[in-house]
Amino acid sequence: MKCKRCKKPAVVGLPSHHTAFCEECFYVYFTRQVETAIRRQKMFTFDERILVALSGGKDSLTLMLALHELGYDVAGLHIDLGIYESSVRARAKVESFCEQHGLTLQVLEMEAEGLPMPDVKEHINRPVCSVCGKVKRHYFNKIAREGNFDALATGHNLDDEVARLFANTLRWDSGYLSDQGPTLPAAEGFVRKVKPLYRLSEFETANYAFLRGIEIHSDPCPFASGASFTSHKELIGELEHRSPGSKFQFYDGFLKRGREAFKMLEKEVGEELSPCEDCGSPTSVEICGVCRVKRAVRDKKAAAAQ
Amino acid sequence: MIKVRLEPDGKDLEFHGLKTVLGLLNKLGLRPTMALVVRDGGLLTPDIRIKSGDEILVRKVTSAG
Ligand code: SF4
Ligand SMILES: [Zn+2]
Ligand SMILES: [Zn+2]
Repeated sequence: MKCKRCKKPAVVGLPSHHTAFCEECFYVYFTRQVETAIRRQKMFTFDERILVALSGGKDSLTLMLALHELGYDVAGLHIDLGIYESSVRARAKVESFCEQHGLTLQVLEMEAEGLPMPDVKEHINRPVCSVCGKVKRHYFNKIAREGNFDALATGHNLDDEVARLFANTLRWDSGYLSDQGPTLPAAEGFVRKVKPLYRLSEFETANYAFLRGIEIHSDPCPFASGASFTSHKELIGELEHRSPGSKFQFYDGFLKRGREAFKMLEKEVGEELSPCEDCGSPTSVEICGVCRVKRAVRDKKAAAAQ
Repeated sequence: MIKVRLEPDGKDLEFHGLKTVLGLLNKLGLRPTMALVVRDGGLLTPDIRIKSGDEILVRKVTSAG
């Protein structure tokens, strides 16, 4: 294959776009996709401060580097979940990456917050991943608000978004369908949320991370319960292979023609929110879900110690 | 013989008689956009020829979750 822009030998073939690129031209293509995403979805401006959620995975690190090199004012936030070696390694990876590229990083330890995930797993009778996801979203929003950031950016790529949309559609989950998208505007108590990699596939971010030397070989979390979306991703990957471009069309079509309808539907049943008595985060009850989990962990640990 | 390391599975495989990256991916049941294929530190597109003695890394891109 030859690079479509400069005719040098290609290193990345992109059937979805009927194209292929050499390393240099692939960077140009990749960066333009990020810029287009930011512009079209009105994500943020050069005057705003952006907090980037850094899990240690290839997508979050790729996002951080791409935004920094485009000249945006970014700072990273890593949440140390306290899950043994897995968390130690993820944290070390994020820390060395930020140091290497001169990026600002804040680390928040769940141990210090009274919510290390092993305790949640032991004491809370719910799937640990659902609590973990909730806890991460809670703290990303909280830190973004406390630090007066204008937006919170996450590394979700096109495949993540499409897999989620597909799952939500299979269940016709109107609540999720009403607020899935690459930009969620700020609302009372919630900072704006953006996904600047939403136009890029997992294959594209993996190529970018590889070429930029971002270590992508990560050890899985020991609590992972066999990847919920993986089979959907495989199905969608097969569809994309037979009909290149269909992934993006499915998602883009939803944004343009589907989402509004679900928004209108949900407006009528939306709940009223007020600040949590413990932490001030918006909630529809007196004490938010995360603070309730925190109390339960504390009580059960105390009971177990007696 | 072509030596193949499959990640993240951590499997080492050996193949004979393969001529291209695409042929290798087909053998592994992977579509071209489902994995990175690396030889000597460089990325290979599906049309690239491979030969006996090559050591190749195939890294699936789908992350869990
Ligand atoms: S696999 Fe589950 S517990 Fe582990 S980090 Fe992911 S969401 Fe949290
Ligand atoms: Zn080129
Ligand atoms: Zn709270």
